[in-house]
Amino acid sequence: MHSVTAIVVAHDGSRWLRDTLRAVLAQTRPVDRGVGVDNGSRDGSRDLLGEAFGKHSVVQMPRGSGFAEAVHEVVRRLPKAPGDTEWIWLLHDDCAPDARALEFLLHAADEYPETAVLGPKLRDWLDRKLLLEVGVTVARSGRRETGLEAREYDQGQHDAEPRGVRDVLAVSSAGMLIRRDVWDELGGLDARLPLFRDDLDFCWRARAAGHRVLAVTAAVAWHAEASSKRRRRIAASDDHPRRLARRYSLFVLMANLPFWTMLWSLVRNTVGSLIRTVLFLVAKQPAHAVDELAAIGSVLFHPLRLRRARKARKGSRAGYRLVKPMFSPPSLAFRRAWEMVQNQLSGGGPMDSAGRHHAVQQPGAEEGDELLNDDDGFLRRAFASPGVRLFVLLTAVAVAAERDLLTGGMLGGGALVPVAGGASDLWAFYTGEWAPPYVAVLAVLSTVAFGKTWLAVSILLLGCVPLSGLSAYLATRSFVSYRPARVWMAATYALLPVATGVVAAGRIGSAVVFILLPVYASLATKVLADTRKPARRAAWGLGLLLAVGTAFAPILYVFVAVLGLLAALSFGGVRRGVGGNLLIALGVPLILLGPWLATIVQDPVRILREAGLPMTSSPRLAPEALLTLNPGGPGTPPIWATAGLLAVALGALLLRRHQFIVAVGWGVAIVGVLAATVVSRMSTWPGVPLAFAATGLLVSTALAAHRVAEFRRADGLRKAGAFLIVLVAFATPVAAATLWIMDQADGPLRRNVRSPLPAIAEAQSKPGQGTLLIRTADTGLTYTVLHGRIPVIGESERAAYGSDFTDAVAGLASGRGGGDAAALAGRGIAFVSVPAPIDPALRRALDSEPTMARVTLTDRAGLWRMTGPVTPERPPAGDAWHRWWLYGQGALVVIVLILAAPGARTAETEAIEEIPAGRERVAA
Amino acid sequence: MRRLIENRFGMLALVLIALGAVYGVAFVSRPAPAAPVKAEPVRAPIAAVSTVCPDPGGATVTAVTPPNAQGTGQTLIEDGDEPATVDEPGKLWQKTMASGTDPMRVHATGAMASGLEAAQTRRALSGEARGLAGVRCVDPGADAWFVGPGPAAGDLRLHLANVESAPADVALVVYSGEGQVIADRASGLLLKPGEHRVVDLKKVAPSPLVMALNVSTGRGRVAAAVEAATSEGVDWLPQTTAPAGRVVVPGLPGSAGRRELYVAAPGESDAVVHVKAVLKDGSYALENRETVEVPAGSVVTLDLSTGVTGQPAAIVLTSETPVVAGLKIVGTGGRTDVAFTAGAPPIDLGSVVADARSTKTVTSRLILSAPDAAADVTVTLLPREGKAPDPIEVAIPAARTKEIILKGPAKGFSVVVMPKTGSGPVYGGRVMEERAAGGQLVTAQPLAVARTWTLVPPVAEQPSAVLSQPS
Repeated sequence: MHSVTAIVVAHDGSRWLRDTLRAVLAQTRPVDRGVGVDNGSRDGSRDLLGEAFGKHSVVQMPRGSGFAEAVHEVVRRLPKAPGDTEWIWLLHDDCAPDARALEFLLHAADEYPETAVLGPKLRDWLDRKLLLEVGVTVARSGRRETGLEAREYDQGQHDAEPRGVRDVLAVSSAGMLIRRDVWDELGGLDARLPLFRDDLDFCWRARAAGHRVLAVTAAVAWHAEASSKRRRRIAASDDHPRRLARRYSLFVLMANLPFWTMLWSLVRNTVGSLIRTVLFLVAKQPAHAVDELAAIGSVLFHPLRLRRARKARKGSRAGYRLVKPMFSPPSLAFRRAWEMVQNQLSGGGPMDSAGRHHAVQQPGAEEGDELLNDDDGFLRRAFASPGVRLFVLLTAVAVAAERDLLTGGMLGGGALVPVAGGASDLWAFYTGEWAPPYVAVLAVLSTVAFGKTWLAVSILLLGCVPLSGLSAYLATRSFVSYRPARVWMAATYALLPVATGVVAAGRIGSAVVFILLPVYASLATKVLADTRKPARRAAWGLGLLLAVGTAFAPILYVFVAVLGLLAALSFGGVRRGVGGNLLIALGVPLILLGPWLATIVQDPVRILREAGLPMTSSPRLAPEALLTLNPGGPGTPPIWATAGLLAVALGALLLRRHQFIVAVGWGVAIVGVLAATVVSRMSTWPGVPLAFAATGLLVSTALAAHRVAEFRRADGLRKAGAFLIVLVAFATPVAAATLWIMDQADGPLRRNVRSPLPAIAEAQSKPGQGTLLIRTADTGLTYTVLHGRIPVIGESERAAYGSDFTDAVAGLASGRGGGDAAALAGRGIAFVSVPAPIDPALRRALDSEPTMARVTLTDRAGLWRMTGPVTPERPPAGDAWHRWWLYGQGALVVIVLILAAPGARTAETEAIEEIPAGRERVAA
Repeated sequence: MRRLIENRFGMLALVLIALGAVYGVAFVSRPAPAAPVKAEPVRAPIAAVSTVCPDPGGATVTAVTPPNAQGTGQTLIEDGDEPATVDEPGKLWQKTMASGTDPMRVHATGAMASGLEAAQTRRALSGEARGLAGVRCVDPGADAWFVGPGPAAGDLRLHLANVESAPADVALVVYSGEGQVIADRASGLLLKPGEHRVVDLKKVAPSPLVMALNVSTGRGRVAAAVEAATSEGVDWLPQTTAPAGRVVVPGLPGSAGRRELYVAAPGESDAVVHVKAVLKDGSYALENRETVEVPAGSVVTLDLSTGVTGQPAAIVLTSETPVVAGLKIVGTGGRTDVAFTAGAPPIDLGSVVADARSTKTVTSRLILSAPDAAADVTVTLLPREGKAPDPIEVAIPAARTKEIILKGPAKGFSVVVMPKTGSGPVYGGRVMEERAAGGQLVTAQPLAVARTWTLVPPVAEQPSAVLSQPS
């Protein structure tokens, strides 16, 4: 004979409690006793419990008590029912069992007498058919696994045949039916787990003790999951339920696993947590990242608590072999990781590591899309976004055009130093001396790219086209509402002659600026147009990114400063705070790059230089090339490639309604082209000013473009006109892409660059010794000094050796004898390397130098060594200021980052995002 | 204005005008195409010279620096225990060494280095070594080529001296008439700093009748010279230019005697060599000897006596495959003597011959050829004693050779040959002949570029040197 005591624990749950109690009392197999526990509710839950079970059957607990504590309190007071098999039926206030639930549960208990714990199938409270869980298991990462897909509807697909029961590792405490003797034997739910995972822990212990845990699929209960979904405040803890869930999952795992398995799991989870933290940070979910760290930290830093818990669970570890088969298979972990990446890419929900408490994540949030998104496949979700489609398309174009650059040896050429070394080399360079600040940016990116500088550089440079397309698409979402126009604009921008020229010549400085330029435009619009706080934040962000761009190509700052001044003049009076914000945006780069900019002021010509090797460009760039936004040089298409863009932009001037915007765009374009002319005549590549000019044209044209949609809906001539405009507009990106693929990314940039430093010199150079590299060029000989390794990016901007040194090199190369070699040895030169083609005169000169000995001479290179004493060059004296400056710079970056970070979970962006959706429907 | 803006086409017109203005600015500011400035190398005096006379024992060693350099300097002649120093340009230092003297290093710095030249000449009237045998003291180097008779034709001794502070690893490659000789003893010669050694080439490759010899060092530098004592006489083989597609062998005297050309193709492929003689009255291909086929790795002999003997000449060889060449001059008389000349570079920066004599019995000839373009040359004599005579101006028409009989003081003199600016490339040689009982004694020396000047190339510090130029 069974005797069932239903225990309903309530905490501010009157919204659900009434239904719950009604369901408990309406069971076809009535409960023998009903007890209510009220954990200090303030919403009248206590009265509801009293009405249902009688005033004396309600236990009052303090507000901060946990679920386990509450149940313990009841069971302690509960008198034994002699003769019967006693059962405790745990119910949450938000969990209403089906009328026949208890009947089915007990029926299963009769069938399988060795069963100690049973649970019903849980469905969603609101969406009554939605499956939440049919028993749960746990992954080795501590993740709670339901084994269900997201938003699965109950059509009996998980119902076990024939008896309707399934062996599971654990069942939820909502609706959990426990044999009382087992409860007593195992000590019940662990009160140290006040909220989550107490069920998992208890069932684990029951399993390990040899009992069976069954999910009875015939029995159904509806559960609102009010706590984990934050439908109510949790009083048991102040922490976010997500963090609690993660912490307790880890705790349960560590407490129950055998020692060595636990150690392994601890290591694994620590590493996993760190990775996830990084991913969360990348995904801009800092709250998740903090939770993740806090969870693993609370387990790691409380070993005593863990030890106590483990002491109490000796039996559970002994029965580990009984539990182990119930874990979720390891393959599931990979599937979860893949899902995480998918979600990330498709912009789906936030990532989740604790394991959803149940199968559903945020019911309601997606309800509107439900009908549209019946097929939830990753590709479909991802490709639904035109931005992703554009990105994929541009990537394909880039891959096709850069097919010879993608794989192979060292990447280098043009303005790019052969990319060698790793993040640590860059950091060492940056912290060791006054290095150009873009080294720090590259060092950060390399660190993110697993310490591989080549990866970071490849992504920035070879990925310049798709990245700038993506940034143009995303950055303009706040002000270009017509989506096809945005796609056109982003595609055209990404395939501008500047972009293909950047790739071909390896101009990493221009590449970074080109990718960031749309972001500048977007942030600048926010600074000028937004309300106070977002505008201020945008100003800080603009300042920081401007500092990054300026570090790569200082000329950028001049343009932004000029445009900023113009904006301040025209908007300053209209809107309060614009002046201050512009001051912030323009001041941050000055402060962050202070000492470096000071060196540029001393040598103003350097303002025209960009990151990487100095590379002059012809001052004879044709005027028509400048007008068609073509900066010339390797990798740029013929000048007619951009004709479509110019035609459309000129045509947009005829639209009366947008004439002002388009005129402003043309104004920016003309200023940009003028600046490009000036810059170009100074033998500098005019990529950056032309990119500005193009941005002006593209944005203004795209803003006017929704008129095309209106034309399309009209009929006759206007429709044909719209078609023609679209054709002309898209001709530019299509032609640019086609030309680019046909010509390939052909230029000085190439793969398999030979290392400039012979292996022997690299191996035998002592610290402070250098290798003089002499190369025969059209204009004579050129030389540079390598210091025991291939120079990292940025080292080429070190101070020159000076004319004395150059004279000594010339003397050495002439073979005049005398003290030239000794002079070089006195400056730390230990080797002289001459790559092919070796000038015979140079070879003879080096061969005849008495204080030098030939090491090797082949068709490809010659290497000579100083036989006399070599004075190692003293490393630059440790500059005390430099150290302090680095600390200061780091602190400033952090402060600016904090000031620029978006406020806590504001929804402003979504509000803006809705507009284009509506417009698109109009357009379609 | 207002009407313009309100007009639908007004803005378009304004923008077009602005664009036109920008075009105009860009057009006007476009600089004229500048011819690429090619920086010319700058001439600079040589600051230090070190040269080694390979076997001065019993020979007269002459060292001289022409008197054109500014400043001060010093020449140090390491003559055994009593080193001599000279610090006066234009003054000849001459001494006949005791037999058995070790190789001598002549080292000059500063102004004295500018044009320093040293040579050794041995004269024997009887015995095995009967004849005139002279050689220009050699610069230590990493690579030297010699072409001449092989060890089967006589005693060939390779003199090696390492005067540097680093050890030298020497490898020898011998090419014979039958191809490259593979020899165990040809490599692994290690000369410690200061060490000198004489290698009997018979022990390296006994069989070749004619040979081309390449002395190269893996590391370090060595001064190499080859002494040939054949049945026809003795002399030193001058160093020839490294393998090249065009080789000029200058310095064939206008005297009687046999002339034998040696051509070697040390590469991997056979060479078809076009032979031309640059004579007094023009440049000709020799009848029936227009081309020589040289199998890869081997040496071919070509008798040029008919056609060249009796005329001052230079031989120009052209080939698609790099070749090296040398030439044997045989004196007249019952007991003959030989002399060798070899492929030589043009003397654009001038040339100095340390040792020349002019007595009743001794004739010194200077043979100058301008195979490509006409050249004007100034020849100055620096006598050992007495006042220097006035310089002689020599005009050589294009594709011609001129011979000058040097008439100077009997005690010996040096010769400075300086092409004038604007001249075509000049090649030359000096031949000394002595009438002696039994037969003529002869020695020859192709003119080498004087160590006066060097060309300092334009040099610039450029970080982009880490990248090879795009091809």
